Amino acid sequence: MIVAENVHVRFRRGIFRRPIQALHGLNLEVREGDFFALVGQNGAGKSTAMYCFLGLMKPSSGRIEVMGKTPYLGSPLYQGVAYLPEEPHYHLYLTVEEATRYYASLYGKRIPDKTINETLERLGLAQFKTLRLAKCSKGMKQKVGIAQCLIHETRLLFLDEPTRGLDPLVIREFREWLREIHSRGATIVMNSHVLSEIEMLANRVAIIERGKVVVQDELRNLLTLDRELYSVAYEGNGVVPDYLSSVERLGALVKGAIAKERLYDFMEFSRDAGLLVHECSLKKTSLEESFFNIVKGGGETELSERRNGEYMATQDTATPGGSEGQWRNC
Amino acid sequence: MAELLKANIMAHFAYYRRSRLLLAFLLVFLLLTGLSSLPALFMNSGVQSFNSLHQIFEVLNVFLLFFAGGLGLFIMSSHLRSRSLKMVFTKPCPPALWLVSVFWSAVTVSLLLNCIVFASAAVLSFVWHLPVRAALLFISVDTFIASVGIIAYLMLLTTLVHPAIAVTFALIFNADLFYGGYEWTQSVIRAGNSSVWLRILDHLFHYLYFILPMVYAFAKKTENIYSSFRVSQGEWKYLLFSFGYVTVLSVFCYSLALLALQRKKHI
Repeated sequence: MIVAENVHVRFRRGIFRRPIQALHGLNLEVREGDFFALVGQNGAGKSTAMYCFLGLMKPSSGRIEVMGKTPYLGSPLYQGVAYLPEEPHYHLYLTVEEATRYYASLYGKRIPDKTINETLERLGLAQFKTLRLAKCSKGMKQKVGIAQCLIHETRLLFLDEPTRGLDPLVIREFREWLREIHSRGATIVMNSHVLSEIEMLANRVAIIERGKVVVQDELRNLLTLDRELYSVAYEGNGVVPDYLSSVERLGALVKGAIAKERLYDFMEFSRDAGLLVHECSLKKTSLEESFFNIVKGGGETELSERRNGEYMATQDTATPGGSEGQWRNC
Repeated sequence: MAELLKANIMAHFAYYRRSRLLLAFLLVFLLLTGLSSLPALFMNSGVQSFNSLHQIFEVLNVFLLFFAGGLGLFIMSSHLRSRSLKMVFTKPCPPALWLVSVFWSAVTVSLLLNCIVFASAAVLSFVWHLPVRAALLFISVDTFIASVGIIAYLMLLTTLVHPAIAVTFALIFNADLFYGGYEWTQSVIRAGNSSVWLRILDHLFHYLYFILPMVYAFAKKTENIYSSFRVSQGEWKYLLFSFGYVTVLSVFCYSLALLALQRKKHI
């Protein structure tokens, strides 16, 4: 759906025309049907990458293809593309109804009044249709943006920080709309700082750092970045093996973490000591933890590992057979 | 394509209707015109009424020129500065079409206002028992043609630079200024001073006068119509010439503005 190869973007800014290298050899691939999230620190180049995909900026070098074509302003390839910018980049002088009609008409088709009214009704905007966008809340403006995706069959949707400044109720509602659009077969590319939200919505993630992609993978793979660690909880003789880290005692219950290579040692230990094992599972990592692991250290190493496909297939649980101890919820 | 053009033009009309800047601009000029024409309402003689009509019509036509400039300036600067164009150009609506829609919408509003001013002048002539002169129509058409050129020029300048710089440039660095400069250097040269710097300045003023757009390209030929309110059969051709000049100017301004718009980062 989207291919970016060795994309460099350089521009000059300010009175002294200070050169800025916004993208530095960005390589990216978004597949059809993906809910793709671009993650990175401020100034990492997420928005610049999105602007390049939308043809709003031309790369200094490299190749970008969106649906097999090079994007440029007003290109016919945008027939199936929708874009929801950050506030306040809408036509604020238009009313909700006018803006919905205008943005929908920009696809070159006549939109019947009935379709507009039904869409506004569905989004809960019918009672505000004469209100100017300048006086609407951000949530209402974003709904106007969503309306164009519901009126037309959007194949590719770009979202730039879509939930920034929205209240939790609207965020939830917005998330549902996005899920619906995605379930209709649209590919969604989202740029966001809210990692918890990406965790809920995206299936693929690219982490951008200093203008290039350091990790691009399935979200579920990124969430198991600490796959070497298994968390265990057991009851028994009170003995704690020395390879158990992050030990916590809750009465007779002992909780801790074990490196993958010591897992079989622990199994033997539990069998010999007759422990009652409540939990032994792969330690889940949040996207936030993965993000910090990658950005603050070792990101490049992880990336090279992932590129070479050297890491093991994800195992959510380990259930040792032939154990003489008791294993629960493992 | 027609649907796209229509959608854009309708959105621009909504902008003109709701732009407070344009509204303020309109009200100030109407107020000034109203105040200046107030004494005329208490005049009885035909000559005084004619003079009043002449004055009111002249003021309104100058206002139309300024307002046309405002239309081109405000709509371009508003869209460029609010960065809302990213919502347009990320759809299958090319900048060329959007720019045409802006131009046409501004020209339509300008035409409408010209018609209103012409109709008002005709009504005043009727009320004050004056003949509706053909010169009224000539001046209205000529002003409309000049307005089209101003709209195109201001749209170009606003695409290139900050609106404040665009206004300053349009007001100060215009063809009239350099024509005045050219006349001055010519008179000094004729008086016997033929230094190299003066000759360079003379050439510079001459070329700048030709390069910069003129509001009324045939002002010298038509100034008599504006002062006497009489137009002869042979003078109507100047409208056609003006139209030709403005068409070339508009195409030139449009092409440059389009180039600038395509090169701009709409982010």
